[in-house]
Amino acid sequence: MTSPHIRLDNNSVQRVMLYVLLALVPGIVAYVWNVGAGILVNIAIASVTALGAEALVLKLRNRPIAITLTDGSAIVTAWLIALALPSIVPWWLTVIAVLIGIVGAKHLYGGIGQNPFNPAMAAYCAAIIAYPALMSQWPAVGQVDFATQLQLILGGGREIDGITGATALDAMRTGLRKNEAVSAIFESTAFGYAGGNGWEYIGAGYLLGGLFLLWRRIISWHLPFAFIAGMGLTATLFWAISPEQYPSPLFHLASGGAMLGAFFIVTDPVTSASTPRGKLIFAAGVGIIAWFVRTFGVYPEGVAFGVLLMNIGVPLIDRKTQPPIFGRRGGKQP
Amino acid sequence: MKLLDALPPAWRKAVSCACGLVAFTLVFTALMAFTYEMTRERIDAAKDEQQMRLIDEVLPRERYDNTLLADAVSAPGNTANVGRIWRARRGADAVALVFEAFADDGYGGRIELIVGIGDDGRVTGVRVGAHHETPGLGDYIEPAKDRRHQNKPWIAQFEGVDANLPKARWTVKKDGGDFDYRAGATVSPRAVTVAVGRGVLWVNKHRAALFEAPTDAKLNDEARTE
Amino acid sequence: MAMNFQHFKGCVRDGLWRHNSGLAQILGLCPILAISTSMVNAVSLGLATVVVMAISNLVISALRRWIAYEIRIPAFILIIAALVTVLDLAFNAYLHSLYLLLGIFIPLITTNCIVLARAEAFAAKNGVFESTLDGIMMGLGLVWVLGLLGALRELISNGTLFSGIDMIVPGLSAIQVFGEDYPGFLLASLPPGAFFTLALLVAGFNAINTHRAAKKAAPAATPPTTPTAPAPAAD
Repeated sequence: MTSPHIRLDNNSVQRVMLYVLLALVPGIVAYVWNVGAGILVNIAIASVTALGAEALVLKLRNRPIAITLTDGSAIVTAWLIALALPSIVPWWLTVIAVLIGIVGAKHLYGGIGQNPFNPAMAAYCAAIIAYPALMSQWPAVGQVDFATQLQLILGGGREIDGITGATALDAMRTGLRKNEAVSAIFESTAFGYAGGNGWEYIGAGYLLGGLFLLWRRIISWHLPFAFIAGMGLTATLFWAISPEQYPSPLFHLASGGAMLGAFFIVTDPVTSASTPRGKLIFAAGVGIIAWFVRTFGVYPEGVAFGVLLMNIGVPLIDRKTQPPIFGRRGGKQP
Repeated sequence: MKLLDALPPAWRKAVSCACGLVAFTLVFTALMAFTYEMTRERIDAAKDEQQMRLIDEVLPRERYDNTLLADAVSAPGNTANVGRIWRARRGADAVALVFEAFADDGYGGRIELIVGIGDDGRVTGVRVGAHHETPGLGDYIEPAKDRRHQNKPWIAQFEGVDANLPKARWTVKKDGGDFDYRAGATVSPRAVTVAVGRGVLWVNKHRAALFEAPTDAKLNDEARTE
Repeated sequence: MAMNFQHFKGCVRDGLWRHNSGLAQILGLCPILAISTSMVNAVSLGLATVVVMAISNLVISALRRWIAYEIRIPAFILIIAALVTVLDLAFNAYLHSLYLLLGIFIPLITTNCIVLARAEAFAAKNGVFESTLDGIMMGLGLVWVLGLLGALRELISNGTLFSGIDMIVPGLSAIQVFGEDYPGFLLASLPPGAFFTLALLVAGFNAINTHRAAKKAAPAATPPTTPTAPAPAAD
């Protein structure tokens, strides 16, 4: 199952993970600025849970704890989970999601380098299927102060209608189901210039961090490029056919987890394809599936489902896109 | 037997196998037919009982004394998307109308509803039959799935609502209507509320005609026999 | 007809544990996965399967001398399908709400491979008493796996046990194990939850078997302990 070309040298893993965490900072700053500091609490909860779970499982598996714990991969998974969940989910939901990601999706398959499924996205999918109501309550931008957010995260009382706002994707889908036109739906306060009001800056923050990773050559251009192209071209096709029924590609790319997905999720070195051509196929597939789930599916965001579905295909994609081996005619695979 | 012996061995085998299978088929078909006959009445009763379960939750059985399921009319193709309509009576008095309504715009397709309107012009209750709303999100329209509010499920808010409420108020509060919804899911409650309102207004408007129509009558959109 | 005790024990152990239809043979997955959303559903379908297996094994072993080898499969299927139809009608008549819940899975007992497999592999070659016992034990093996699976899924997803018991015994109600405030874990009651939970049960089953085999293989340095009751932990 392992992609063949990654070296699991601890130093290099640690370096990569540090860069990834650094690259997430602009997005997180925009998050705190626009939505509130509750996300920091969630990131802290997720990180502590991830480190604890990682240490416990390593001990149970009789593996060296210190080396793996300090490689930073658990922290990256924790941050990605915290950023993918609504920032006002109760603490126990974050804990459950992180446990599913670290224990279920990562260690049950053999730990880092062995897991076929992206741990953060497996955690997100489990959470949204198990708690669809809590997972669709996002804080309305600029209306929920830190104290309230803290109360929502740590406390139990959750009758919070009024302070939650529909996300742009949610508002769009609900409007379309009522047969309203895209341009009319865009009048709502949930929308900003291209995507969700306030949320589009967070997407821009992720984009900035992603460009930094590209510049430092931590991630290859194939993955984000193909993801954006896959989602963008599919959206463009339908938008061109009927612009009042299908929102523009810009809306899709600026909303939900598109930017986080493009630069931080599909770029996971363990669970994405490893050949250049394979990377293009893999990430484009994620983008296309994400668009279809968003447009026709039951759940509000499709990036996570796209990632998991394409993860299944990675061994096949890698096999079929391996360059031909010298000494064999016709490039036939063994 | 003489006849069989005259046949070649392969034929003999084939005939005996065929006879064996026919005998088995006859015996076990008889067994099934016998069970079917024995259980037929019970099954019909059970089916009625099942149908009455939702109706009982909408209108208590003590309120009327006729056989409700037998006292039905329908209005095929009516504009309010109402199915069968049952007339509850006590003696000669009209007590309530119970009817099926359908919401075709649920998140997961069609939602089937049972609605009752009492003689005081108020809704006696609403219950959801078959539906395909998202588990954990929109399925709280069904009281059994409204886990966190077992004492006061969402659908209970229809009880006692005035059947003459203007059409615009038959929707969720988010759209300017009178009815609550739970944060996170508005599509399912909106579909239910609008469908209930549409059905209630139509049935209540034709109340007298619906009571007077002969049993099993097929009515038009103005609740007249054609 | 004489059946020695060893033989009897073998039948019981094969059905309940060693050749368990759910955990070892992994047969009849369709009902296992689809119907195990709650303990009551799961056990009801399991018991219906026991009834079918016991009677079909009984009838087939009693009639085995009159069933020509060439037509045995159609004859077995005929017998099983007739029994299932009778059971289906009985459910419809006397346990109607449960019948609506189990739905297509009662008629589908006919196609459950474990039923035909036992008819062909056991009842067609053995005496009436042994065959009936085998049918019951194989069925009970399915019942406890289904019951455990249903109980775990119901407990994790809703925090209750025995929900729907009122469909069988009116007046009884479900037990709230984790209290009113348990937020639930819906995933467990949805199809993916069925696969995950069954996977954990199979893993537990294999772990116990490996552990036992290792113990048997090891020299008698460690004191022999009686193996604990078959209750593989969920995780």
